[in-house]
Amino acid sequence: MAIKQYDVLIVGSGHSGGMAANILTQKGISCLMLNAGPEADYEKDRSVKQVYELPYRGFNKPGRLPHVFQANEFNANQWVDEQENPYTIPPDAPYNWVRVRLLGGRSLFWARQSFRLSDLEFKAAEIDGSGENWPISLADLDPYYSRVEEIFRVAGRKEAWPQFPDGNFVETSYPPDTETIRKVTEICNKRGIGVSKGRSALGKDGLASSVNLLLPDALATGKLDIVENAIVREITTDKNTGLASGVHFVDRHSKREMHVKAKTIVLAAGCLESTRLLLNSKIGNSSGVMGHYLVDQMYGVSVVASVPEARDGKAPSGLMGGGSFIPRFRNLSKDKKSDFIKGYCVTLNSGGSASPNHFPLYGEELQQKLDSYANSCVSGGIFGERIARYENHVRIDPKTVDHWGIPVLHIEARDTDNERKLCKDAADTIEEWFHEAGWEIVCKTDRVNPPGYSIHEVGTCRMGDDPKKSVLNKWCQSHDVKNVFVVDGASFVTCGWQNPTMTILSLSMRASEYLSEQMRTSSF
Amino acid sequence: MKRRNFFRSALTATVLPAVVLAEQTPTQQPPPAATTPARERPRQPQSAPHLAVTEVDVTAETSPHFFTADQLATLTKLATILVPPMKGKPGAVDAQAPEFLDFLLSVSPKDRQLSYQHGLDTLNAEAKKTFGSPFAAIDPKQADKLIRPLLVARPWPQDLPKDPMKSFLAQVHEDLRTATTNSREYAAAASTTGGRFTRGGSGLYWAPIDPIS
Repeated sequence: MAIKQYDVLIVGSGHSGGMAANILTQKGISCLMLNAGPEADYEKDRSVKQVYELPYRGFNKPGRLPHVFQANEFNANQWVDEQENPYTIPPDAPYNWVRVRLLGGRSLFWARQSFRLSDLEFKAAEIDGSGENWPISLADLDPYYSRVEEIFRVAGRKEAWPQFPDGNFVETSYPPDTETIRKVTEICNKRGIGVSKGRSALGKDGLASSVNLLLPDALATGKLDIVENAIVREITTDKNTGLASGVHFVDRHSKREMHVKAKTIVLAAGCLESTRLLLNSKIGNSSGVMGHYLVDQMYGVSVVASVPEARDGKAPSGLMGGGSFIPRFRNLSKDKKSDFIKGYCVTLNSGGSASPNHFPLYGEELQQKLDSYANSCVSGGIFGERIARYENHVRIDPKTVDHWGIPVLHIEARDTDNERKLCKDAADTIEEWFHEAGWEIVCKTDRVNPPGYSIHEVGTCRMGDDPKKSVLNKWCQSHDVKNVFVVDGASFVTCGWQNPTMTILSLSMRASEYLSEQMRTSSF
Repeated sequence: MKRRNFFRSALTATVLPAVVLAEQTPTQQPPPAATTPARERPRQPQSAPHLAVTEVDVTAETSPHFFTADQLATLTKLATILVPPMKGKPGAVDAQAPEFLDFLLSVSPKDRQLSYQHGLDTLNAEAKKTFGSPFAAIDPKQADKLIRPLLVARPWPQDLPKDPMKSFLAQVHEDLRTATTNSREYAAAASTTGGRFTRGGSGLYWAPIDPIS
């Protein structure tokens, strides 16, 4: 049988791979997409069950997914199995790498918060003196953000605040704020802090994923083939040109080794998997920074307060419920007053309950407290920005391989004083607001979950104009191997406090259009 | 892919339950009797009856085997005290939470097993030393004297105190509550009392998706 020829090979099928396929195929470019896992069948693979019917009564199988705090016994099978796909970490530095290999990847399950980065992030080095600027600014990405927001139908409230760039939002009406949310808003406004609403991708029919918003149009062109269960082992190169020539992959079930050729390789396997593939292929790292500057956001800081008038089920209507979103408000200019750089956003929720672990009580006494405090709480949590540091990195662990014999990643990421000071400021600040509102603090913590927990890991192949300091150029194209592009979160220079999906999608769209133009006008 | 699984995946495309088909794949057919000519071999059936089966928990009880008798007695006493029956809902003992935790701990990582064993043994030893009786035999006021100093408020369930006994008590308290509210007994009571169902309940379960063999 004649083997089909493809212009572009796309590794990964999540948001970034889906966007690359969507753009390239509609420009008439033939693409093959390789996905490491199977396609989920939402009708066959899911069923409603009572928790007591599950083998472990809802506890999940002990030790099965030690690094996926998001896993429970209902959803355990959607995550990557840590025994089949291990990674290694130092004993003193836990890292939660949370992966999905189903067709569509993590785009099937993301939280859909949809923010743009601002020039505070793109030009962070100018503002706070840390790290490097991105080689692009908000103005470069703005038209792509607008098109992505249209596809994903992002609902948001426009504010015209520089640190919180508005987008191309669908019309949304918000119910009036409850009294508790109004109170925090007043307290914040008095301090010059703006309070807004979350921005969420509505998508289509309850799903805002690559599998329903991006890949169907690509398949409809007839220019896309998708192969499932294809685990890419290595990128192959042409010895004469130094360019990539294709990839070796292995069948997930049979372990049959395969090779496929293509003119261009687009990596969209997720920041760390794309980086692992490049490191295992030993290409694209003349700068020496590949794998470095791994960064994500801090989750875990939390303050919960109980509103006295709302206890014992006596909350009058209009007091509790709803929420708000407070974009970054610290260190917005060069003349900063904090003892840390960067910032955090705060999400507020009203109408929740206290948890048993909040009280040093048991038995009837605990139950009475929980009943009394039910639905009386306002909680505040943060997404805080970490600094992208050279020391936080991934490298190949030569001693450990996965189920298919592919060397795995060793991940090392640690927090510094800046992260700790930022989190302390956040917990103190939210506590101060709740205290001023006259509410009882039920719990306060500035402790952070291990890095990776936010599932927003980015960096490790950062972009830049200088090939000595960066892996990719501003088009997500390898400085060293011109026909290799990395369109997932690996290109990020800073992570911001914003959920990264809209930026990943916009960068992938921009890189794909650049690639299609290159393929039309020249060869590599 | 193993041969058997090839047939399994090929056949699950039909409407028949995979488990029925897996038992009837050609590789598992007994060779035809010598007296049967090959052309008269029975064809693959198009369907088979789907029989009703009963869930195991309504037919049998968990048989504890991990904890010692003293440890299980201490755990059962803790269950009585920490999660008693409240507002018409079953307590941890009614929900057979101690027996379930015996099973769960038997398949848990070693550090968790040690934490439980050490915690239960220490509580029992403290009861004997302070009150002259095993923990299972002391009264609630005496138990309170041992338990209350170990209680710690924690921001998140996964925040465990450094002190081993405080950490054990936080774990066993959380586990007993979860094993109770996620039990069949609790669900039945919640549906009859009409009370608010704070834990447990139903959910959308993802079956293993094309697992590797």
